[in-house]
Amino acid sequence: MTTTQRFDSPRELKVALGQQQYIASDEIATIMYLSQELGKPLLTEGPAGVGKTELAKAIAGATKRELIRLQCYEGLDETKALYEWEYAKQLLYTQLLRDKLQETLAGTDNLGAAADRLAQEEDVFFSMRFLLQRPLLKAILSEQPTVLLIDEIDRADAEFEAFLLEVLSDFQVSVPELGTLAAIHRPLVILTSNNTRELSEALKRRCLYLFIDYPSIEQEMAVVRLKVPELSAKMARQAVELVQSLRSMDLRKSPSISETLDWAKALVALNATVLDSATLETTLSVLLKHESDLQRARRWLQRPASGPNLSDGSDTQTPRWRN
Amino acid sequence: MEERIVKFIAALRAAGVRISLAESTDAFRAVESLGVKDRELFRLSLLSTLVKDASGRPIFEELFPIFFGSSEMPPMLNISEDLTPEEAEMIAQGLRKVNESLRKLVDKLMNGDPLTQDELERLARMVGLNQADDLRYREWMTQRMKKALHFKEVQEALQELANTLAELGMDRERIEQMQKLLQANQNALEDQLRQFAGQRIAENMGERPPDEGLDNLFNRPFNSLSDRDMERLRKEVQRLAAALKTRVALRQKRAKNGQLDAKATIRANIKHGSVPIELRHREHTQKPKLVVICDISTSMRYCSELMLSLLYALQDQISKTYSFAFIDHLEYISPDFERKSSNEAVAQVLDRIPTGYYNTDLGNSLNDFSKNYLDKVDSRTTLIVVGDGRNNYNNPRVDLFRTISRRSRRAIWLTPEPPLLWGSGDSDMLKYALDCDTILQASNLTELTTAVDKLLLG
Repeated sequence: MTTTQRFDSPRELKVALGQQQYIASDEIATIMYLSQELGKPLLTEGPAGVGKTELAKAIAGATKRELIRLQCYEGLDETKALYEWEYAKQLLYTQLLRDKLQETLAGTDNLGAAADRLAQEEDVFFSMRFLLQRPLLKAILSEQPTVLLIDEIDRADAEFEAFLLEVLSDFQVSVPELGTLAAIHRPLVILTSNNTRELSEALKRRCLYLFIDYPSIEQEMAVVRLKVPELSAKMARQAVELVQSLRSMDLRKSPSISETLDWAKALVALNATVLDSATLETTLSVLLKHESDLQRARRWLQRPASGPNLSDGSDTQTPRWRN
Repeated sequence: MEERIVKFIAALRAAGVRISLAESTDAFRAVESLGVKDRELFRLSLLSTLVKDASGRPIFEELFPIFFGSSEMPPMLNISEDLTPEEAEMIAQGLRKVNESLRKLVDKLMNGDPLTQDELERLARMVGLNQADDLRYREWMTQRMKKALHFKEVQEALQELANTLAELGMDRERIEQMQKLLQANQNALEDQLRQFAGQRIAENMGERPPDEGLDNLFNRPFNSLSDRDMERLRKEVQRLAAALKTRVALRQKRAKNGQLDAKATIRANIKHGSVPIELRHREHTQKPKLVVICDISTSMRYCSELMLSLLYALQDQISKTYSFAFIDHLEYISPDFERKSSNEAVAQVLDRIPTGYYNTDLGNSLNDFSKNYLDKVDSRTTLIVVGDGRNNYNNPRVDLFRTISRRSRRAIWLTPEPPLLWGSGDSDMLKYALDCDTILQASNLTELTTAVDKLLLG
C-alpha cells in the first residue's frame, strides 16, 4: 500500500506542488491546505487556461493519490457520473446460470417456496458485481484516498449541480438496491468552473472558493522557465511581456498560460533567437485563436515605435455612438 | 478576536456579500486551523471561506484592513524627547504665541500622542459619524473630523512656530528636521482618524437593520423609484434570476424524438422476458433560443437598467440568447455580458450606448437587424422585444417586423406602458401589436415577474 501524504503547513504544500512542476502562489497553497484541513471541496474559478485543472493533477501527484476526473458537459446525469447497473451483464448471467437456477429451485414443492428461495438468491444480481462505477462512486468507494476532479462544473445542468450537493456535503450515495454507501476515505475534491454561468448559492456554500487569475509577469516567467527550459531567459522574458500586453487588449479570447507555453515551445521548435516580425507573423496563431484577434494584434504590432503599453491603442476603442 | 470576526461578517453582509451561517462556521474552523498570527494566512482563510464570488472580493479587500489592519499604523514619534534644554526653551517660547484652543493638538503632535478612545468618541458624536452607514462617507467623515480638530489652523500655527524658531536663532537644519517629524505625526494622526472612521462605519453597517418593505417596492411603477429603491430592485432582479434558473430547467419542454434508447428499452422490458414490448426513446430537451431586442432610449431609460439586468439573467440561463440594444441603430450586446457581473455588464452597455435627444428609431434598428442578423431567427427562436414602441414619428417599418416575427416561433413584446397609452402620441405600439403573439405589460416588478414566467412557459 502506498502511503498518501498530508501536509502540516501551507508552506510545505507549496513546496510539494513545486516538485510537481506546479508553481503555486501563497494564496493557492493556503486555500488548498485549508481544503485538506477542513475536508471541504475546493471550487476554483478563473479564466480558461490558468491552470485550474493542472492544480488538481499537481495535488494528486503531491499527495500520491489517484486522480479521478469527471468532465462535465450539458446533459450529464447520474448514470454517467455516479453508477449504472450493467444490464447486459445481468442478462447474460441469467442466461448462463439458467441451469443452476433450475437446480436451486428443484427441491421446492410449491411456487411460494420457489419464490422465497429465488428471493434469497436475488441479491446476487444486484450486487457490486453488476454495478458499473462511474467517477463519483469510484472516488467514494476507493480503498485508497483519492483526488476527485469535477471539471468545468458550469457546463453541467443546474439539476446535476443539485444532485452533487448530497455527494459533496456528506460523501455518501444511496443506491436503492444496496443501501447507502459512505466514503471510506474522504476524497480531496476540486471543482473547476470557467464562470460561463453563475453557480448556485447552495453549491458555493459547501465549497471553499479560490479565484485564479492570470499570473503576474514574474509568475508567468517562472512557469515558462520551468516548463520550457530550452527557451533562453531573454526570449522568455520578451515572450511573456508580449503575452501580458496582449491580455490587456480587448480581445475576444485572451491568451492563457497554456497558450503561452505552447507558444514558447513553438519558438523553441523554430529555433527562434529574436522576436522579430517574421517570427511573430508565423507563430502568433498559436496564441490567438480568433481571426479578428489576430488582425487586431498584427495591426498593433506593426505600428511603428509603439511603447510598452499596448492598451492605449485607439484600435481597442469601440467606435463612438452616433447621436 | 471572535467578536471582531463576527462584526466583520456582519459588515460584509451589510455590504451585500451573501454569507450563510454554515460559511461563517467554516471561517471559524479555518481560522482555528491556521491561527491568527500570520496576517496573510488569516486573510486567506477568511477570504476562501466567506467570499464565493469574484464580485464580493473588492468588498472584502476594502473591509478587511478596516477591521484587522490597525497593527500596521506607524507609531507616532515623540519629538520633544530628544531636544537640548536650549531648544526646548525656544520651542516653549514659540508655543506661547500659539492660540490656547489649538494648544492641545500641537502638544499631541509634539509629544507624539495618538488620540485617545474618549477623544475619538467625542469627535464621532460631533460630526455624526455614528449615523453613517456607508463606506463612501469614510473620506468625508475623516475630513470633517480633521476640521473639528482644527487641523488647518494647527498647520498654520506650526508654520508660525517654525518662523519664530528661526527668528530665535535655532539651527535651520534642525527646524527642517522637526518640521518633517511633525508632518509625519500629522499623517499618522490622520491615518488614525481614517481608520477609526472606517471601523465605526463598518460597525454601523453591520448593525443596520435589514431592509423592509420590499412588497411595496414590487408594486411601484418603475418610473417612480429613487436611486436607493433602484439599488434594492436590482438585487431583487438578481434574486429573480436565481429563481428563474431552477424554474427554467423544469419548464423546458421535454420532447421525444425518434431515437431508440437501447438501454432503457432493455431495462423496461426485463419484466416482459426481454421481449421488447415497451419501446423507450431518448429524452431530448428542446433548448429554447432567444433573440432579445431592447430599447434603451430616453423614454425607456428609467427601466432600461432593470431590463438589461433581466437580459443578463436570461443570457446567463439560456445559452443561445442573442441580445441587442438600440436607440437609433442596433448594437449586438451579448459579448458585453460575457464573463462579467451583472452590474458591470449593464453599466458597460449603458456606457457604450449613451442616450441622445429624441432619436429613437426602431425602424432603422429593425433594418439593421434584418440586414445583419436575420439568420439568428429560425423556427425555434423566441423573439422578445423590450420597449415602449415610441418611435419619434420615424418609419416604424412594420413590414420588417412582420418578416422577422413570422420567421420566429413566437414574438413577444414586453412594454412598460399600459394598453391605454398605446397609439397615443408617437407610439407605434398598435401597429406592431398585430404581429406579436403576446404582449406583456411590465411596469413594476410583480408584473415583470409574471411576464418572465410566461416567457419561459413556451
